[in-house]
Parts: sequence; C-alpha cells; structure tokens
Amino acid sequence: MSKTIVSELRARAKPWPRGNRYEDFHEGQDFTHHWGRTLSEADNTLFTALTMHYNPQHLNVEIARENGHMRGIPMTPMLVFTTVFGMSVEDLSEGGGPFLGVENCVYGVPVFPGDTLSATSRVISVRESAKRPDFGIVTWATRGTNQHGEEVIRFERSNLVSRRKSVEDSR
Amino acid sequence: MAKGSISAALTSPNNYFEDFVPGDVWQHARGKTVTEMDNVLLTNLVLNTAEGHFNEHLMQTAGKGIFARRVVFGGINLSIVIGLAAQDTGEQVLREVAMDKVRLNHPVYHGDTLYAFSEVLETADSDRADAGLVRFMHFGINQDDALCVQAERLVQMKRRSHWAVKVS
Repeated sequence: MSKTIVSELRARAKPWPRGNRYEDFHEGQDFTHHWGRTLSEADNTLFTALTMHYNPQHLNVEIARENGHMRGIPMTPMLVFTTVFGMSVEDLSEGGGPFLGVENCVYGVPVFPGDTLSATSRVISVRESAKRPDFGIVTWATRGTNQHGEEVIRFERSNLVSRRKSVEDSR
Repeated sequence: MAKGSISAALTSPNNYFEDFVPGDVWQHARGKTVTEMDNVLLTNLVLNTAEGHFNEHLMQTAGKGIFARRVVFGGINLSIVIGLAAQDTGEQVLREVAMDKVRLNHPVYHGDTLYAFSEVLETADSDRADAGLVRFMHFGINQDDALCVQAERLVQMKRRSHWAVKVS
C-alpha cells in the first residue's frame, strides 16, 4: 500500500526548484533575500560558545556594559556575517559550487539581542572558470542591515556556480 | 578608564594592543575537531539553505558534484579558526572592524580537526586613545597540515595603559 503511494508520488510530483544557476546571473542584478532574522541572546551564546570565540564582551553582559554597550551583549560579529551570508544562499549560491572567498568585509553598527537582520546583494562579476568547464565564478556584493536600515555588515563573496546544463546532466 | 576594569580581572594579562609586534607568528593553544553537530547545527541556525552541508543522501548520490559527502560550511570553518585564535587575539577587542582576503583553500569534512595560527601584520593608533588597531592574518590548517582557511582581520583592541587596572 505505502509502496503504491510512493510510486504515485514519484510519477505525479513536479519538482519545485530552488536556487539560481550560472546562466541566471548578470552584472548589476539586485537581490532582496528572503525572510530576515531576529537574533536572540540564545543565538549569540550558542554560536560564540560553539566557535570558542572567547572575547568576553560576547559572553558576559557586565563586560559588554563596561566596554560601552548599554543595550546588552553585542552579537559576535561572525554570527552577523554567517547569518547575512546564510540568508543570501538560496538566491546566490544554492545552485551548487563551493564558496571560494570574501573580500572587503566591513562591519557597521553592532547588533544586539532583538535586532532583525535583512540581506541584499548585487552581482559584481560573472566569469567562466578555466579549470572547471561545468562551473562559472560569480562575485556578489552583499549587505546586511538592521530594522532601522543601518548597515551592520557588507562584504564581497565569490563562489563557483554550476551551469544549468551540468546540473541537468547529473539528474 | 581610570577606575579598575572588570575585564582586566577576568582575562589574560598579555594580549593587549601593546603586546602585538608586526612579524610575530603565534600558534594558538587548542584545536577543534569539527563534528556533524557543529556543521549541521550552525549551518541551519544561520539559515544557510545549501543542501551540500546537511543532506548526506544527496551528496552520496548526486554523481557530478565536486564533493561526495557533506562538506562543512566555509563560514563555520572561518568562524572556528577565528574562534580558536580569539582568546589570544580577541579577548581585549572592543570592535571587530573588518575582514579581507578570506580564502577557503581546502574542504573540511566531519571529523577533521582545525588548528589556528596568526601572524601580526601591522599595528596603528585608532580613533580613541584607549585602544589601537591590529591587523592579523589568521591561518587554519587541518590534521594533515592542509591549509583550509586564510583570513585577514582588523580589530580595535584595548591598550594595557588604559584598561589593565583590575577592580580591587
């Protein structure tokens, strides 16, 4: 019985695709990435402790205040970076291909518990990969802002991005 | 800061702005074996939707992918390497200013162990008298000495002259 249901699903379901491929990007193209994310003190404690980022202003509110942060514990900047990056992945890099590097990452205003981050990106360059014909290299400028529109981070990221044809061949 | 500081009583005495000399290279005390828990938990926590970090079945069957198993999200490798360097190069940091020249040179898989090294590139005065700027190059290598992560990082760091007076 359940086997019949599964073969029915296999036969009837249409794929609901996510992510873009190399052919989908052109210079100057803008993306407003999905969702936004409100960061909590728990997010920060978990991230800071798991990555062993032992700057106590991200773990001890008394030290955060002594350092001038009257709104509490500032989020560890690597959490801000990876969250803004994470929200950009479906639009930019989920199509397959490894993350190569980041240039010119600059932090803006600090992020405190309860702040909501949003992410946008612009395509800076699109080029072929000499080493891997099934992929291209795309570079984006990504920007993270808080609920007041203030910039919390900006950076340029490059990935190998698979071409649509190579993805179809692998199916 | 004229009065004693709480942080001076709770942190190392030898990692203030004045302690960093351009050209010095440091090997940090601990490594970390990156587990499935670290990768999947943090990848999902930050909403990174790339399945290559959390769908083992896809990675083993997708055929034409570059990797044949789940690979750790590069943002986590970078965060762990900077984390491993943070007690020495971040305990006295007031503000992370910038990162540059970040390279993810080699993939990291569940069970690989990362170790961190840091080179002091330059030091400079900053816009506040009680802190200076330090630029580091951080390196993350795995258990086989493969270079996995490289990143330049600029921080604003407390000066001992202003911050190292302990609360009595």
